[in-house]
Amino acid sequence: EINLMDELTLKGITEFYAFVEEKQKIHCLNTLVAKLQINQAIIFCNSAQRVELLARKITELGYSCYFIHARMRQDHRNRVFHDFKAGHCRNLVCTDLFTRGIDIQAVNVVINFDFPRNAETYLHRVGRSGRFGHLGLAISLVTEKDKELLCRIEKELGTMIRPVPKIVDKELYVSSPS
Amino acid sequence: VETSPSFTVPPDDVQEKVAFMFNNLTLQNLQKKADEILAMVQVQHLEWLAHYMVLRRISIEPNYHNLYVAYIELHRDGEFPFKVLSETYRNIKVLLQADKGDANFSDRSLLKNLGHWLGMFTLAKSRPVLQKDLAVKHLLLEAYVRGQQDMLYVVPFVTKVLESCGQKGCVFRPPNPWTMAILGVLVEIHGLPSIKLNLKFEIEVLCKNLSLELKDISTKGALANADKLRVMQLAAPGEPPATAT
Repeated sequence: EINLMDELTLKGITEFYAFVEEKQKIHCLNTLVAKLQINQAIIFCNSAQRVELLARKITELGYSCYFIHARMRQDHRNRVFHDFKAGHCRNLVCTDLFTRGIDIQAVNVVINFDFPRNAETYLHRVGRSGRFGHLGLAISLVTEKDKELLCRIEKELGTMIRPVPKIVDKELYVSSPS
Repeated sequence: VETSPSFTVPPDDVQEKVAFMFNNLTLQNLQKKADEILAMVQVQHLEWLAHYMVLRRISIEPNYHNLYVAYIELHRDGEFPFKVLSETYRNIKVLLQADKGDANFSDRSLLKNLGHWLGMFTLAKSRPVLQKDLAVKHLLLEAYVRGQQDMLYVVPFVTKVLESCGQKGCVFRPPNPWTMAILGVLVEIHGLPSIKLNLKFEIEVLCKNLSLELKDISTKGALANADKLRVMQLAAPGEPPATAT
Protein backbone atom coordinates (compact mmCIF):
# COMPACT_ATOMS: atom_id res chain seq x y z
CA GLU A 1 0.00 0.00 0.00
CA ILE A 2 1.14 3.45 -0.82
CA ASN A 3 1.53 5.73 2.13
CA LEU A 4 0.38 9.22 1.24
CA MET A 5 0.86 10.72 4.66
CA ASP A 6 3.60 13.03 3.51
CA GLU A 7 1.42 14.60 0.89
CA LEU A 8 -1.63 15.28 3.00
CA THR A 9 -1.52 18.16 5.40
CA LEU A 10 -3.80 19.38 8.12
CA LYS A 11 -3.30 23.00 7.22
CA GLY A 12 -6.46 25.06 7.58
CA ILE A 13 -8.05 22.46 9.81
CA THR A 14 -8.69 23.06 13.47
CA GLU A 15 -8.72 19.92 15.59
CA PHE A 16 -10.56 19.38 18.84
CA TYR A 17 -11.49 16.46 21.03
CA ALA A 18 -14.34 15.97 23.46
CA PHE A 19 -13.79 13.57 26.35
CA VAL A 20 -16.96 11.52 26.80
CA GLU A 21 -18.29 8.18 27.93
CA GLU A 22 -19.59 5.82 25.27
CA LYS A 23 -23.20 6.37 26.27
CA GLN A 24 -22.86 10.16 26.13
CA LYS A 25 -21.70 10.18 22.54
CA ILE A 26 -25.06 10.83 20.91
CA HIS A 27 -25.83 13.59 23.36
CA CYS A 28 -22.46 15.14 22.62
CA LEU A 29 -23.11 14.91 18.89
CA ASN A 30 -26.45 16.64 19.37
CA THR A 31 -24.80 19.47 21.25
CA LEU A 32 -22.21 19.89 18.53
CA VAL A 33 -24.81 20.03 15.77
CA ALA A 34 -26.74 22.66 17.72
CA LYS A 35 -23.66 24.81 18.35
CA LEU A 36 -21.68 24.52 15.14
CA GLN A 37 -22.43 25.89 11.75
CA ILE A 38 -22.38 22.98 9.37
CA ASN A 39 -22.54 23.16 5.63
CA GLN A 40 -22.02 19.42 5.24
CA ALA A 41 -20.51 17.04 7.76
CA ILE A 42 -18.97 13.57 7.67
CA ILE A 43 -19.30 11.44 10.79
CA PHE A 44 -16.96 8.46 11.13
CA CYS A 45 -17.56 5.21 13.00
CA ASN A 46 -15.24 2.22 13.28
CA SER A 47 -17.52 -0.53 11.95
CA ALA A 48 -20.27 -0.99 9.41
CA GLN A 49 -22.62 -2.12 12.15
CA ARG A 50 -22.06 1.04 14.21
CA VAL A 51 -22.54 3.17 11.10
CA GLU A 52 -26.00 1.73 10.55
CA LEU A 53 -26.92 1.99 14.21
CA LEU A 54 -25.83 5.60 14.46
CA ALA A 55 -27.47 6.58 11.20
CA ARG A 56 -30.78 5.11 12.33
CA LYS A 57 -30.52 6.74 15.73
CA ILE A 58 -29.78 10.24 14.50
CA THR A 59 -32.34 10.06 11.70
CA GLU A 60 -34.90 9.51 14.44
CA LEU A 61 -33.55 12.63 16.12
CA GLY A 62 -34.28 14.73 13.06
CA TYR A 63 -30.92 14.69 11.31
CA SER A 64 -30.66 14.77 7.57
CA CYS A 65 -28.35 11.84 7.09
CA TYR A 66 -27.15 9.12 4.73
CA PHE A 67 -24.76 6.31 5.48
CA ILE A 68 -22.17 4.39 3.54
CA HIS A 69 -19.97 1.39 4.35
CA ALA A 70 -18.17 -1.47 2.66
CA ARG A 71 -20.90 -4.03 3.18
CA MET A 72 -23.20 -2.13 0.83
CA ARG A 73 -23.50 -2.89 -2.86
CA GLN A 74 -21.25 -0.78 -5.04
CA ASP A 75 -24.10 0.79 -6.99
CA HIS A 76 -25.79 1.80 -3.74
CA ARG A 77 -22.55 3.32 -2.51
CA ASN A 78 -22.17 5.26 -5.73
CA ARG A 79 -25.67 6.56 -5.41
CA VAL A 80 -25.19 7.69 -1.81
CA PHE A 81 -21.90 9.36 -2.65
CA HIS A 82 -23.36 11.14 -5.66
CA ASP A 83 -26.40 12.39 -3.76
CA PHE A 84 -24.33 13.54 -0.81
CA LYS A 85 -22.02 15.42 -3.10
CA ALA A 86 -25.02 17.03 -4.78
CA GLY A 87 -26.13 18.26 -1.35
CA HIS A 88 -29.31 16.19 -1.04
CA CYS A 89 -28.37 15.53 2.52
CA ARG A 90 -26.31 17.35 5.14
CA ASN A 91 -24.61 14.57 7.06
CA LEU A 92 -22.95 11.35 6.03
CA VAL A 93 -22.18 8.59 8.50
CA CYS A 94 -19.47 6.23 7.27
CA THR A 95 -16.60 3.87 7.91
CA ASP A 96 -13.03 4.36 6.76
CA LEU A 97 -14.14 3.17 3.35
CA PHE A 98 -14.84 6.79 2.66
CA THR A 99 -11.56 8.33 3.67
CA ARG A 100 -9.41 8.40 0.58
CA GLY A 101 -9.16 10.74 -2.29
CA ILE A 102 -12.61 12.19 -1.98
CA ASP A 103 -13.07 15.92 -2.33
CA ILE A 104 -16.30 17.52 -1.38
CA GLN A 105 -15.88 21.24 -1.05
CA ALA A 106 -18.93 21.82 1.08
CA VAL A 107 -17.74 19.58 3.92
CA ASN A 108 -16.54 21.92 6.63
CA VAL A 109 -16.91 19.61 9.63
CA VAL A 110 -15.61 16.10 10.28
CA ILE A 111 -16.64 14.25 13.43
CA ASN A 112 -14.87 11.14 14.67
CA PHE A 113 -17.77 9.52 16.46
CA ASP A 114 -15.36 6.65 17.11
CA PHE A 115 -11.71 7.54 17.46
CA PRO A 116 -9.60 6.06 14.64
CA ARG A 117 -7.22 3.21 15.43
CA ASN A 118 -4.08 4.77 13.99
CA ALA A 119 -2.48 7.99 12.84
CA GLU A 120 -2.84 7.35 9.15
CA THR A 121 -6.56 6.77 9.42
CA TYR A 122 -6.91 9.89 11.52
CA LEU A 123 -5.09 11.96 8.96
CA HIS A 124 -7.16 10.67 6.06
CA ARG A 125 -10.43 11.17 7.88
CA VAL A 126 -9.70 14.64 9.12
CA GLY A 127 -8.38 15.62 5.70
CA ARG A 128 -11.96 15.38 4.38
CA SER A 129 -12.75 18.85 5.60
CA GLY A 130 -10.83 21.93 4.64
CA ARG A 131 -10.00 20.78 1.11
CA PHE A 132 -9.07 23.27 -1.60
CA GLY A 133 -7.61 25.61 0.95
CA HIS A 134 -10.97 25.98 2.62
CA LEU A 135 -11.22 25.98 6.36
CA GLY A 136 -12.34 22.95 8.28
CA LEU A 137 -13.10 21.68 11.71
CA ALA A 138 -12.40 18.20 13.05
CA ILE A 139 -13.85 17.00 16.32
CA SER A 140 -13.06 13.62 17.85
CA LEU A 141 -15.16 12.02 20.55
CA VAL A 142 -12.64 10.37 22.85
CA THR A 143 -13.37 7.80 25.56
CA GLU A 144 -11.20 6.59 28.42
CA LYS A 145 -9.67 3.80 26.33
CA ASP A 146 -8.73 6.16 23.47
CA LYS A 147 -6.72 8.50 25.68
CA GLU A 148 -3.27 7.07 25.03
CA LEU A 149 -3.97 6.66 21.34
CA LEU A 150 -4.93 10.34 21.14
CA CYS A 151 -1.58 11.38 22.60
CA ARG A 152 0.30 9.02 20.32
CA ILE A 153 -1.45 10.22 17.17
CA GLU A 154 -0.94 13.82 18.17
CA LYS A 155 2.78 13.13 18.52
CA GLU A 156 3.11 11.09 15.33
CA LEU A 157 1.44 13.75 13.22
CA GLY A 158 3.05 16.65 15.01
CA THR A 159 -0.34 18.25 15.35
CA MET A 160 -2.27 19.70 18.24
CA ILE A 161 -5.66 18.35 19.24
CA ARG A 162 -7.14 20.52 21.95
CA PRO A 163 -10.24 20.07 24.10
CA VAL A 164 -13.28 21.56 22.42
CA PRO A 165 -14.01 25.00 23.88
CA LYS A 166 -17.47 26.09 25.04
CA ILE A 167 -17.79 28.38 22.07
CA VAL A 168 -16.03 27.45 18.87
CA ASP A 169 -14.88 30.52 17.00
CA LYS A 170 -16.64 30.50 13.63
CA GLU A 171 -13.62 32.14 12.04
CA LEU A 172 -11.87 28.80 12.34
CA TYR A 173 -14.04 26.85 9.97
CA VAL A 174 -16.37 29.14 8.04
CA SER A 175 -14.97 32.02 6.09
CA SER A 176 -17.47 34.39 7.62
CA PRO A 177 -17.34 38.16 7.55
CA SER A 178 -15.48 39.71 10.45
CA VAL B 1 -20.07 42.94 9.28
CA GLU B 2 -21.08 45.93 11.30
CA THR B 3 -23.48 45.66 14.15
CA SER B 4 -26.88 45.40 12.70
CA PRO B 5 -30.01 47.49 13.00
CA SER B 6 -32.20 46.98 16.00
CA PHE B 7 -33.90 43.65 16.17
CA THR B 8 -34.77 41.33 19.02
CA VAL B 9 -32.55 38.34 19.42
CA PRO B 10 -34.24 35.14 20.60
CA PRO B 11 -32.90 33.31 23.67
CA ASP B 12 -29.86 31.04 23.28
CA ASP B 13 -31.81 27.80 23.31
CA VAL B 14 -33.96 28.97 20.41
CA GLN B 15 -30.86 30.09 18.51
CA GLU B 16 -29.35 26.65 18.99
CA LYS B 17 -32.49 24.90 17.85
CA VAL B 18 -32.59 27.04 14.74
CA ALA B 19 -28.92 26.28 14.05
CA PHE B 20 -29.68 22.58 14.46
CA MET B 21 -32.57 22.85 11.98
CA PHE B 22 -30.48 24.65 9.41
CA ASN B 23 -27.68 22.14 9.86
CA ASN B 24 -30.17 19.49 8.80
CA LEU B 25 -32.29 21.38 6.29
CA THR B 26 -32.58 19.80 2.82
CA LEU B 27 -35.05 19.91 -0.05
CA GLN B 28 -36.49 16.57 1.08
CA ASN B 29 -37.45 17.65 4.57
CA LEU B 30 -38.05 21.30 3.76
CA GLN B 31 -41.73 21.56 4.66
CA LYS B 32 -41.32 19.70 7.93
CA LYS B 33 -38.30 21.67 9.08
CA ALA B 34 -39.80 24.96 7.93
CA ASP B 35 -42.84 24.30 10.12
CA GLU B 36 -40.59 23.43 13.04
CA ILE B 37 -38.55 26.59 12.65
CA LEU B 38 -41.67 28.70 12.36
CA ALA B 39 -43.06 27.14 15.52
CA MET B 40 -39.94 28.16 17.42
CA VAL B 41 -39.31 31.64 16.09
CA GLN B 42 -41.73 34.35 17.12
CA VAL B 43 -42.85 37.19 14.89
CA GLN B 44 -40.60 39.71 16.60
CA HIS B 45 -37.62 37.47 15.85
CA LEU B 46 -38.10 37.32 12.09
CA GLU B 47 -35.60 40.13 11.51
CA TRP B 48 -33.10 38.13 13.47
CA LEU B 49 -33.88 35.04 11.37
CA ALA B 50 -33.34 37.02 8.17
CA HIS B 51 -30.07 38.35 9.57
CA TYR B 52 -28.94 34.86 10.58
CA MET B 53 -29.81 33.42 7.17
CA VAL B 54 -27.96 36.06 5.19
CA LEU B 55 -24.91 36.36 7.40
CA ARG B 56 -24.44 32.78 8.51
CA ARG B 57 -25.89 30.72 5.70
CA ILE B 58 -26.49 32.44 2.39
CA SER B 59 -23.21 34.33 2.28
CA ILE B 60 -21.10 31.23 2.95
CA GLU B 61 -23.14 28.35 1.56
CA PRO B 62 -23.65 29.07 -2.14
CA ASN B 63 -24.22 25.35 -2.68
CA TYR B 64 -27.54 25.71 -0.84
CA HIS B 65 -28.91 28.88 -2.42
CA ASN B 66 -31.65 26.87 -4.17
CA LEU B 67 -32.68 25.40 -0.88
CA TYR B 68 -32.82 28.77 0.85
CA VAL B 69 -34.91 30.33 -1.93
CA ALA B 70 -37.35 27.43 -1.54
CA TYR B 71 -37.35 27.85 2.23
CA ILE B 72 -38.13 31.54 2.09
CA GLU B 73 -40.95 30.97 -0.36
CA LEU B 74 -42.54 28.50 2.01
CA HIS B 75 -42.55 31.02 4.80
CA ARG B 76 -46.04 31.99 5.80
CA ASP B 77 -45.12 35.49 6.89
CA GLY B 78 -45.54 37.62 3.77
CA GLU B 79 -43.01 40.17 4.98
CA PHE B 80 -40.22 37.68 5.45
CA PRO B 81 -38.84 37.71 1.88
CA PHE B 82 -38.51 41.50 2.08
CA LYS B 83 -36.71 41.24 5.37
CA VAL B 84 -34.24 38.83 3.80
CA LEU B 85 -33.83 41.07 0.78
CA SER B 86 -33.12 44.21 2.78
CA GLU B 87 -30.68 42.27 4.93
CA THR B 88 -29.00 41.09 1.71
CA TYR B 89 -28.60 44.67 0.45
CA ARG B 90 -27.33 45.78 3.84
CA ASN B 91 -24.61 43.11 3.84
CA ILE B 92 -23.61 43.87 0.28
CA LYS B 93 -23.21 47.54 1.15
CA VAL B 94 -21.12 46.78 4.18
CA LEU B 95 -18.81 44.62 2.09
CA LEU B 96 -18.59 47.14 -0.75
CA GLN B 97 -17.75 49.94 1.64
CA ALA B 98 -15.20 47.92 3.59
CA ASP B 99 -11.52 48.43 3.04
CA LYS B 100 -10.65 46.61 -0.17
CA GLY B 101 -7.34 45.21 0.91
CA ASP B 102 -4.82 43.41 -1.23
CA ALA B 103 -5.58 39.80 -0.52
CA ASN B 104 -8.96 39.84 1.10
CA PHE B 105 -10.17 36.71 -0.64
CA SER B 106 -12.77 36.11 1.99
CA ASP B 107 -14.63 39.40 1.36
CA ARG B 108 -14.39 38.81 -2.36
CA SER B 109 -15.91 35.37 -2.17
CA LEU B 110 -18.62 36.59 0.20
CA LEU B 111 -19.50 39.30 -2.31
CA LYS B 112 -19.64 36.76 -5.11
CA ASN B 113 -21.89 34.54 -3.05
CA LEU B 114 -24.20 37.40 -2.14
CA GLY B 115 -24.25 38.51 -5.77
CA HIS B 116 -25.28 35.04 -6.88
CA TRP B 117 -27.94 35.01 -4.20
CA LEU B 118 -29.25 38.47 -5.06
CA GLY B 119 -29.65 37.51 -8.72
CA MET B 120 -31.47 34.30 -7.83
CA PHE B 121 -33.75 36.02 -5.37
CA THR B 122 -34.65 38.98 -7.59
CA LEU B 123 -33.80 38.87 -11.31
CA ALA B 124 -34.44 35.15 -11.74
CA LYS B 125 -37.97 35.77 -10.47
CA SER B 126 -38.39 38.83 -12.68
CA ARG B 127 -38.15 41.16 -9.70
CA PRO B 128 -36.01 44.22 -10.40
CA VAL B 129 -32.88 45.33 -8.59
CA LEU B 130 -33.88 48.93 -7.96
CA GLN B 131 -31.46 51.78 -8.46
CA LYS B 132 -32.13 52.99 -4.93
CA ASP B 133 -31.16 49.60 -3.53
CA LEU B 134 -28.16 48.92 -5.72
CA ALA B 135 -27.08 51.02 -8.70
CA VAL B 136 -25.39 48.20 -10.59
CA LYS B 137 -24.09 50.10 -13.62
CA HIS B 138 -22.92 53.00 -11.53
CA LEU B 139 -21.12 50.58 -9.24
CA LEU B 140 -19.04 49.32 -12.18
CA LEU B 141 -18.21 52.84 -13.35
CA GLU B 142 -17.21 53.88 -9.89
CA ALA B 143 -14.97 50.83 -9.50
CA TYR B 144 -13.37 51.63 -12.84
CA VAL B 145 -12.61 55.19 -11.75
CA ARG B 146 -11.21 54.00 -8.43
CA GLY B 147 -8.94 51.47 -10.07
CA GLN B 148 -7.86 47.87 -10.42
CA GLN B 149 -8.26 46.95 -6.76
CA ASP B 150 -11.93 47.92 -6.62
CA MET B 151 -12.64 46.13 -9.87
CA LEU B 152 -11.38 42.88 -8.34
CA TYR B 153 -14.29 43.12 -5.91
CA VAL B 154 -17.00 44.66 -8.03
CA VAL B 155 -16.70 42.94 -11.42
CA PRO B 156 -17.07 39.33 -10.18
CA PHE B 157 -19.89 40.48 -7.92
CA VAL B 158 -21.82 42.03 -10.82
CA THR B 159 -21.26 39.08 -13.14
CA LYS B 160 -22.68 36.81 -10.45
CA VAL B 161 -25.76 39.01 -10.08
CA LEU B 162 -26.41 38.99 -13.83
CA GLU B 163 -25.94 35.24 -14.15
CA SER B 164 -29.58 34.79 -13.12
CA CYS B 165 -30.79 36.82 -16.11
CA GLY B 166 -30.34 33.69 -18.21
CA GLN B 167 -33.25 31.96 -16.43
CA LYS B 168 -36.12 30.84 -18.61
CA GLY B 169 -39.06 33.21 -18.55
CA CYS B 170 -37.10 35.94 -16.81
CA VAL B 171 -37.93 39.43 -18.07
CA PHE B 172 -34.30 40.46 -17.64
CA ARG B 173 -33.07 38.04 -20.28
CA PRO B 174 -31.14 39.77 -23.05
CA PRO B 175 -32.05 41.88 -24.96
CA ASN B 176 -33.62 43.53 -21.90
CA PRO B 177 -32.23 47.09 -21.97
CA TRP B 178 -31.36 47.24 -18.27
CA THR B 179 -29.31 44.06 -18.61
CA MET B 180 -27.76 45.09 -21.94
CA ALA B 181 -26.63 48.44 -20.54
CA ILE B 182 -24.72 46.73 -17.75
CA LEU B 183 -23.33 44.11 -20.13
CA GLY B 184 -22.13 46.98 -22.34
CA VAL B 185 -20.04 48.36 -19.49
CA LEU B 186 -18.69 44.90 -18.72
CA VAL B 187 -17.65 44.45 -22.35
CA GLU B 188 -15.83 47.80 -22.22
CA ILE B 189 -14.06 46.66 -19.06
CA HIS B 190 -13.19 43.41 -20.83
CA GLY B 191 -11.47 45.44 -23.54
CA LEU B 192 -9.25 47.44 -21.21
CA PRO B 193 -5.58 46.75 -21.87
CA SER B 194 -4.65 46.50 -18.20
CA ILE B 195 -7.51 44.30 -17.13
CA LYS B 196 -6.70 41.26 -14.99
CA LEU B 197 -7.12 37.91 -16.69
CA ASN B 198 -9.47 36.50 -14.08
CA LEU B 199 -11.85 39.44 -14.54
CA LYS B 200 -11.82 38.93 -18.30
CA PHE B 201 -12.63 35.33 -17.65
CA GLU B 202 -15.58 36.15 -15.36
CA ILE B 203 -17.06 38.37 -18.06
CA GLU B 204 -16.58 35.74 -20.76
CA VAL B 205 -18.23 33.10 -18.60
CA LEU B 206 -21.20 35.38 -18.01
CA CYS B 207 -21.65 36.01 -21.72
CA LYS B 208 -21.44 32.30 -22.39
CA ASN B 209 -24.09 31.62 -19.75
CA LEU B 210 -26.35 34.20 -21.36
CA SER B 211 -25.62 32.72 -24.83
CA LEU B 212 -24.17 35.99 -26.08
CA GLU B 213 -21.01 36.77 -28.02
CA LEU B 214 -18.92 39.59 -26.62
CA LYS B 215 -18.66 41.22 -30.02
CA ASP B 216 -22.45 41.33 -30.37
CA ILE B 217 -22.93 43.47 -27.30
CA SER B 218 -23.04 47.16 -28.12
CA THR B 219 -21.09 49.61 -26.03
CA LYS B 220 -21.73 53.28 -25.43
CA GLY B 221 -18.38 54.61 -24.35
CA ALA B 222 -19.43 54.60 -20.69
CA LEU B 223 -15.85 54.28 -19.45
CA ALA B 224 -14.67 57.24 -21.52
CA ASN B 225 -17.47 59.29 -19.98
CA ALA B 226 -16.43 58.16 -16.54
CA ASP B 227 -12.89 59.29 -17.39
CA LYS B 228 -14.19 62.74 -18.28
CA LEU B 229 -16.07 62.81 -15.01
CA ARG B 230 -12.86 61.96 -13.17
CA VAL B 231 -11.02 64.83 -14.83
CA MET B 232 -13.83 67.15 -13.85
CA GLN B 233 -13.66 65.95 -10.28
CA LEU B 234 -9.91 66.41 -10.16
CA ALA B 235 -10.47 69.97 -11.36
CA ALA B 236 -12.85 70.58 -8.50
CA PRO B 237 -10.98 69.40 -5.39
CA GLY B 238 -12.95 68.78 -2.24
CA GLU B 239 -15.80 67.14 -4.05
CA PRO B 240 -16.07 63.59 -2.75
CA PRO B 241 -16.53 60.98 -5.45
CA ALA B 242 -20.09 59.82 -5.84
CA THR B 243 -20.80 56.66 -3.92
CA ALA B 244 -22.69 53.98 -5.65
CA THR B 245 -24.33 52.55 -2.65
